[in-house]
Amino acid sequence: MTNAILTGLMLGGMYALIAMGLTLQYGVARIMNLSYGEVLIAAAFGAQGLFTGWALSPFAGLAFVIPVAFLLNLAIYRVLLSPLVRRARTRDALEVDSILATFGLAFILQGIMLSMFGGAYYSYSYLASPVHLFGETIAANRLAALAVCILLGGSLYLALTQTRGGTAIRAVAVDPAAAQLVAIDVARTAAFTFALGGALVASAGVLISTFLTFSATSGVVFTMKALIVVVMGGVGNMLGCLVAGLLLGVSEALVASLIDPGLTLAVNFALFLVVLLVKPAGLFGRASR
Amino acid sequence: MLEVDSLSLAYGLHRALDKVALTVGSGEIVCILGANGAGKSSLLKAIAGLLPSLPGKRVMLGDRDLSRLPAHRIVECGLALVPEGRGIFGELTVAENLLLGANPKRARDGEAARREEVLTLFPRLRERLHQTVRTMSGGEQQMVAIGRALMSRPDVLLLDEPSLGLSPAMVHELFATLQRVREAGLGLLLVEQNASESLRIADRGYVLENGVIIDHDTANNLKRKPAVQRAYLGG
Repeated sequence: MTNAILTGLMLGGMYALIAMGLTLQYGVARIMNLSYGEVLIAAAFGAQGLFTGWALSPFAGLAFVIPVAFLLNLAIYRVLLSPLVRRARTRDALEVDSILATFGLAFILQGIMLSMFGGAYYSYSYLASPVHLFGETIAANRLAALAVCILLGGSLYLALTQTRGGTAIRAVAVDPAAAQLVAIDVARTAAFTFALGGALVASAGVLISTFLTFSATSGVVFTMKALIVVVMGGVGNMLGCLVAGLLLGVSEALVASLIDPGLTLAVNFALFLVVLLVKPAGLFGRASR
Repeated sequence: MLEVDSLSLAYGLHRALDKVALTVGSGEIVCILGANGAGKSSLLKAIAGLLPSLPGKRVMLGDRDLSRLPAHRIVECGLALVPEGRGIFGELTVAENLLLGANPKRARDGEAARREEVLTLFPRLRERLHQTVRTMSGGEQQMVAIGRALMSRPDVLLLDEPSLGLSPAMVHELFATLQRVREAGLGLLLVEQNASESLRIADRGYVLENGVIIDHDTANNLKRKPAVQRAYLGG
């Protein structure tokens, strides 16, 4: 039981971190990014390559993966998405266009990874020693991943709520037209935030690669979970991401240990349905005007 | 200080503004009178760079040419707009709105002192610094909007219908505040339905009809003109 809850909190923290990046991209840049999970997997391969090739610890690898992911996502935004932004007459139109474009991008990224790594599952063993906690044993890599996850998510949250730059990012999500009136360059902020979201999901990919097996095609699962968490928590709400992510993680882990591991996806969607029936705008969302 | 010349604007084939010219000096309140649909809001938005205008316009602020700058750069030059419907960030708190008001680089120096001035001008905002703006009354939201614009250290402030939806007492208070803002040396360009209140505090006024400026005079002279009285003062 304790072990299940610990595992659940750790999974949930990961889900929350992944969802934070998606909600940034969607809330500020208005890009519904369906290739999101592929970026996560690409980062996982990156961490695996750095570890097996150069014996670089995944946590040190973050210092390399995060800036690379930021720049690559910035390039994706500038080359692939900004033409869509320019031609979109409304934000809703941009949303539809971005779904189609990033759906295609997901296949491209997946195809590249399949051609490079094949369809096999990958994993590597890093910090796999057991740690005793609350009378249970848990792998050290999981605890370390959780600690880094809290550090990254927490510092992002503080940056968004406590600094002028972060407040400006939230202001673009609230009202892009008004944002111009306080000298915010909306186009630049959207590009920056998209890249930031990409860097965040890449860091989640690195953390996840330390304790989960992954393959070139497992990205879509993470896109789905991120979407569920974002919608469940209320689009654009960081606190919602955290609560919904933890809820999802803990319920998954409990069901897997108490009933049957095959039921985790069913529980995911059951929880999702219940939340949407009771609060259609998500746990922390407000009904749209 | 603010000089606008040959500003034209069209929505499709409909010409909303035709070669508008106006000036606002520092420490001066200038109002624009006009019926609904005369193009008043479009004029302010075009000056602030929010609406694309037809080629040939000239907008100068001091010796800086704003004619081709995007809206976010125009704020940096010292021209702030308080749009109709206020354009504040409803999901953010008063403090966050004021913080963003000082986002332009020109506003960073002396930010704390300016914030203090704004809170002295609007004491009610000091009590509600951490309240989410959307939960506040219309008058309080208007204070946030003006306070946020003042935080950008503007030389010229454009106000679109600041009295809209306010009680008569609030309107009075608001216009008294605008007087004090002018005394600090700012130029104010004011668009108002409430012509009697705005002519009372204004130095000069322009009359805008169907996108064309048809009259321009001191506020005192405008008040006495029969055409103005008939159309805007209910007399």
